[in-house]
Amino acid sequence: MDMYAVRTLRSQPLRLMLTIGGIALCVILMFFLFAVYRGAADGSVEYIRQNKTDLWVLQRNATNILRGSSLVSAVQGRKIQQIPGVKSISPVLFVLAAIKKGDRDRTVFLTGFDPEKNIGGPPYLVAGRNISHDNEIVLDKSFAAKFRFKVDDHVEIQEHSLRVVGISTGTNAFVIQYAFVTVRFLQKMIGFPGIATCYLVEVDEGNTLAEISSQIRRELPRLEVYDHETFLENNIQEMKSGFLPLLYTVAAIGGIVLTVILSLLLTVNILERRKDFAVLKTLGSPKGFLRWLIIEQALLISSAACVVALIVFFPLVQMIEKISPEVSTKSTVEQIIVVVIIVEIMSLISSFLSIRRLRSIYLMEAFL
Amino acid sequence: MKKLEDLKYVVRLSEVSKIFGSDEHKTVALQNVSCEASAGELVLLLGPSGSGKTTLLTLIAGLLRPSSGTISLFGKNIESYSAKMLQQIRAMRIGFIFQTFLLIDSLTVQENVGVVLRFNGKTRREAHRHAFRLLEQFRIEHLAKKFPRTLSQGEKQRVAVARAIANEGDLIIADEPTGCLESKQGFEIIQLLKTYSKDQNRCVIVGSHDLRIEEFADRILRLEDGILRESA
Repeated sequence: MDMYAVRTLRSQPLRLMLTIGGIALCVILMFFLFAVYRGAADGSVEYIRQNKTDLWVLQRNATNILRGSSLVSAVQGRKIQQIPGVKSISPVLFVLAAIKKGDRDRTVFLTGFDPEKNIGGPPYLVAGRNISHDNEIVLDKSFAAKFRFKVDDHVEIQEHSLRVVGISTGTNAFVIQYAFVTVRFLQKMIGFPGIATCYLVEVDEGNTLAEISSQIRRELPRLEVYDHETFLENNIQEMKSGFLPLLYTVAAIGGIVLTVILSLLLTVNILERRKDFAVLKTLGSPKGFLRWLIIEQALLISSAACVVALIVFFPLVQMIEKISPEVSTKSTVEQIIVVVIIVEIMSLISSFLSIRRLRSIYLMEAFL
Repeated sequence: MKKLEDLKYVVRLSEVSKIFGSDEHKTVALQNVSCEASAGELVLLLGPSGSGKTTLLTLIAGLLRPSSGTISLFGKNIESYSAKMLQQIRAMRIGFIFQTFLLIDSLTVQENVGVVLRFNGKTRREAHRHAFRLLEQFRIEHLAKKFPRTLSQGEKQRVAVARAIANEGDLIIADEPTGCLESKQGFEIIQLLKTYSKDQNRCVIVGSHDLRIEEFADRILRLEDGILRESA
């Protein structure tokens, strides 16, 4: 009897195509949101994930670098270095700064680090090399693509001219992109020599992180210490708290639109074929049989929409990334499976909403 | 539920009335109708349009409940059947033929016949095979893959009869089965139903205004304005 489900849908091809198209758009929206989220999630915290140090030391009450401010002075840095068991420290300074492009300023998350320490820099380089001098800068790949910067170009930050020596990835935090300069240059640029946002601390072998952390807190009570995993998790949570509500809201709207479109089609189908349903009821159709017909139709349409969405999604994303390189997406099989499951659940809800219409079809209608 | 051979009457109505609406808007569709039908009988319910034939047929099939009186179907008061039991009775023991045949346009002829077998508990494959055998009996197996909209009225009529008897029901209810047919086709369908009632010892109740088919009936019940005028 699933032929009935298929054939009744096929009998109105334009309506069926429009419905599948509408639902496919909702599915694409969900795929896209998940992909942007994953891309932004990776881009936001990849810097921290790849700069694997033993301890991150920040100003007290600062828990992350994405949406928190922290200032640690050079004096505090020297005190950390003097604590027994601390092998090395590396200052990192984060500043929101504008890069001049033509007559417009483009904001970047300027990250100052000490290139000699080999930590605190870009996670991956896809072109050029890392910085080694104060007049050099590494730009994020999507930022460079968007504003057409390439290696050996010069960028202007305030009155300073810096040469682009490398292009990095894993540094696109969706709303902003990282750029890397020496910490000395950045301190000079903002006019606070010795200032840092945080210190990356490596501990001598034979010392536990807990011991060193306690010692730093004791010696420097105005600072906070995190091990790498905790600090990474703090930043992930911060990113999620800013991003996920938006993601869930838009995804929920997509899901509701999908459910409404599908319910409408199924309900119109039932109403148009109420005589058929009345005949089937009169002939002795069990309730479950008719309900299953509607569920089959819902699942058929949503599955077709998922296939269409999958075919369209990847070329569409490539096009979007070409037009807006700062939109960095990442799709995984798990994400796609989750979206497909959500869509199938929504289609089941649509069918349950439409099934209620069956109740209003009376057996007598077959005789009228 | 009793078997057909154990029943004196397949259907028995006692003082059955059916009123639609209430107060000043009420319509009396049937008034104190008493009659019965047995296995092996073709009962013709004769009356003009609006006389209450369809109401009576739907009451017999358990599609409507009477306002008063009792209907005994397969030996039990119809009120004692639950909705689920009535659905099962319709699926297993009653066949229907509608005025315009009401074949499902989206299904092939074979699927139209097979669908009632599915309701009867057969698997899709069994229903498909059984339906084809039935079409062979009616010599319309060449129509198996066709859709109803491509059939002539005569072909539709044969498919409708095949569907009605597919579940080998004890009771066939036909509402104006000759209504949209020429006389030759009309006679043919009544002949098929008559043969079924005699050969298979089943009860067939036909509601019609067509006086030409009187000769085929074992019993004729004349309805006028919801009142059973005579029983012959």
